[in-house]
Amino acid sequence: MEMSIRSHWFKFAVALALSLSATESIHAASPSVTAVLSNSEPAVGETVQLQIKVSGAQSANVPQEISIDGLEIHQTGTARQFEMRNFDVSSSVTYNYTILPVRAGKFKIPAQTVRVGNDSLHTPELALNVTGGSSSSAGAPQGGARGPSAIASKLTFAELVVGKKDAYVGEVVPAEIRLGFDPRAHGRLEEGPELSGQGFTTQKLQQPRETMETIGGRTYQVYTFKTAISPARPGKFEIGPVQAKAIVLLPRRPTAPRTRPRSAFDLFNLDDPFSDPFFSDPFGSMGERSELPIRSEAVTLNVKPLPPNAPANFSGAVGNFTMAVDAKPKNVQVGDPITVTATISGRGNFDRMNGPVLEDERGWHKYPPSSKFKQDDDVGISGEKTFESVIAPNEKKTAVPPLAFAYFDPINGNYVTLRSERVPIQVEGGAATAPTVAAAPAAATTPAATPAPAAKPADILYQLNDLGRIRSFAPLYSQPIFWIAQIAPLIGLLGFAGWKIRQTKIGNREVQRVAALQHESAELLRKLRRGELSPQDYFSNASRVAKVKTALAKNIDPNAVDAETVAKVFDLGENERARLRTLFERTDELRYSGSGNGDASLGHRDREEVLNLLESLRA
Amino acid sequence: MKRSVHFAVWLLFAIGSSIASAQTAAQFAKANQEYAAGDFNSAVNDYEELMRGGQDTPNLFYNLGNAYFRKKDFGRAVLNYERALALDPHHPEAQANLRIARDEARALELAPTKLEHSLGFATANQYVVVASIAFWVCAFCIVTLIFGRRRGRGLIALSILSLSIFAITIFAVWTLSRGKDTANLAVVTAENADARLATADNANRVLTLPAGSEIHILSQRGDWIYAALPNNLRGWLPAKSAEHVRL
Repeated sequence: MEMSIRSHWFKFAVALALSLSATESIHAASPSVTAVLSNSEPAVGETVQLQIKVSGAQSANVPQEISIDGLEIHQTGTARQFEMRNFDVSSSVTYNYTILPVRAGKFKIPAQTVRVGNDSLHTPELALNVTGGSSSSAGAPQGGARGPSAIASKLTFAELVVGKKDAYVGEVVPAEIRLGFDPRAHGRLEEGPELSGQGFTTQKLQQPRETMETIGGRTYQVYTFKTAISPARPGKFEIGPVQAKAIVLLPRRPTAPRTRPRSAFDLFNLDDPFSDPFFSDPFGSMGERSELPIRSEAVTLNVKPLPPNAPANFSGAVGNFTMAVDAKPKNVQVGDPITVTATISGRGNFDRMNGPVLEDERGWHKYPPSSKFKQDDDVGISGEKTFESVIAPNEKKTAVPPLAFAYFDPINGNYVTLRSERVPIQVEGGAATAPTVAAAPAAATTPAATPAPAAKPADILYQLNDLGRIRSFAPLYSQPIFWIAQIAPLIGLLGFAGWKIRQTKIGNREVQRVAALQHESAELLRKLRRGELSPQDYFSNASRVAKVKTALAKNIDPNAVDAETVAKVFDLGENERARLRTLFERTDELRYSGSGNGDASLGHRDREEVLNLLESLRA
Repeated sequence: MKRSVHFAVWLLFAIGSSIASAQTAAQFAKANQEYAAGDFNSAVNDYEELMRGGQDTPNLFYNLGNAYFRKKDFGRAVLNYERALALDPHHPEAQANLRIARDEARALELAPTKLEHSLGFATANQYVVVASIAFWVCAFCIVTLIFGRRRGRGLIALSILSLSIFAITIFAVWTLSRGKDTANLAVVTAENADARLATADNANRVLTLPAGSEIHILSQRGDWIYAALPNNLRGWLPAKSAEHVRL
């Protein structure tokens, strides 16, 4: 029970995730709208289907009725379609209208406004040419009556719907192949469908659209294949028939006369093959699978040649088109390439279309264009084809000249030439492109009011007789010689750093020496001021102070200092010089004789004099 | 005895080099004479033989370009002028003839970026030399600052200046080495080569390149190369339709 609940929750979560991602994908695509007619040349009284298809949306507001004098147009239904390819979900909604022409003439169904959410989209304008006679190309299925057996003919049908009866050579005519199966027969296509005939080409059949339709009181599972036909030459051609082979499930033929009651499906006693009890009880009897050929009726297409007065630049485009042109970059030098992009949009034979041409090619060099096509429908009738061509100005220009594109309009039956606007650009440079070392023409830089004739191409310069020095293509930094050359400054740097380090160390020793001398001097002076020393020590310390001070002042060895040096360094007067001499003499006397020639003790006055003398020693 | 052996080896080497140099000069002179006589095919053969022998000199490529120009092979003419300029960016004759050959061939050029254009007044090699000098000046300044007693403002300013020059020139070298004028630069030698969206002859065409057009090879797959094309396009070309400028 618990497992069951878990399983349900898991399924619900997966479904929710899928639906969310699908919704996101659906909303990711911007909506677009197309409108097609099942037949653009019907007869009076012949109904035509108008389909307005909104892609990328699940609903839209479309007009319920379209009022056009001479046509009765009513909305008949809506069909929604979801498609999932590689987790990319797309949706579309198709609004069907029935058009009943009440009189002959050429009608235009104007662009209709379709509102999708906050967006307003517009359908293209459609043309309808109603003829006076009757037509029979479309309508109820007819091919089924030609089947190999009466039973098969009731189970399947094939139908070819061609959009027009008259067309021009090269015109693209939309066509549909419709294959229907009775759903109870579980029909499956084995081969085809194939469209036979000569004098025209067809687009590759797309994946079919599957719908359920009720035709003539019977329900069919209908597969609709879209394609397009393009006549290759004028004349009257038979398009089709469409041929296919299908596998269907048939009830076994009764051997006895019919005694069973009529099937519930056989309301009108049409000899429904499914009146067999097998279909009411599949396990009660055996059915058989049979291969059935399916064949439609052919459709006649009258192909008219294109009128003879084609413009010079007409390249075979037939349809209805618009053109937009742009050029980039806008600022270039003479000779620089400019990419000109021409986008041809509309409906027609894009596969036979060549790009637009420059109306005035003077002063431009052209390169072959490239093209890409983006189709808006399933069969490539409508869309936009982008031509990119590169052009280069040979001289100063102010704009890219207009581009011309000619096509044949099959609705109006005439040729149309589209001309783009001039695209402003700025071309700099000009005649000064010749190099200075080349033999440039003398008048190359002379400004001229009228366009100068094209300069004769300059000839190349002379051969060189000196072979020259061998060089390398490799960049300098990848050559060994460059890195070897770096060794020299590296050695220089290392030497410089070593010298600097040595200098610093030497400087440090000097500082230490000075500090030691200063300390010694201060210490000796402190002792002298205390007055506790013997005369021998007193004079010895005093003379040492004088020597140390002199050594500090002149950065010399204190042991090499005598009284004269001290007096000279400190620029002493005669009196002080004599006192200093006396100090040094008494020091020597006490040091070498062991005692002085006088008192063993030193008077206070003498001490003061010595101290004053020492303190006067200032540089 | 030993000294005389060394002298003999040195003498042999000098004589061999001299003979080889004389042969090269003779072949170059012969090719020039063939060119002057209008025998451009023979001239091309002789120049290319020298090229295969490793004589990568700007003048050789320039003369070879001239010979191809005379043969109306503008694609290879442009290629060899570009090779001459790759070896010597200031080769005046190669610059002049390249312009003429491009005009003749209607060749498309790769547009340098604005940054490359701004840095284009010097070559990558020149930037490398400046970067090297700035680096060593900066290194000496830093050593002085570290080990010197006094740290003067002038020394600090010189350090910052040289470091800035070093950074700017390295950036210039990096920009130019990633730009147009790199080892991946190639020139289309085939006439009107079609660049396509995929590696197939029937794939949609992106651009038709006249001979002499510049491309920038991005990758190679089999016989196809994927290249950046003029006008900011990209596409696949047959590998044999283009040749690298830098050998």
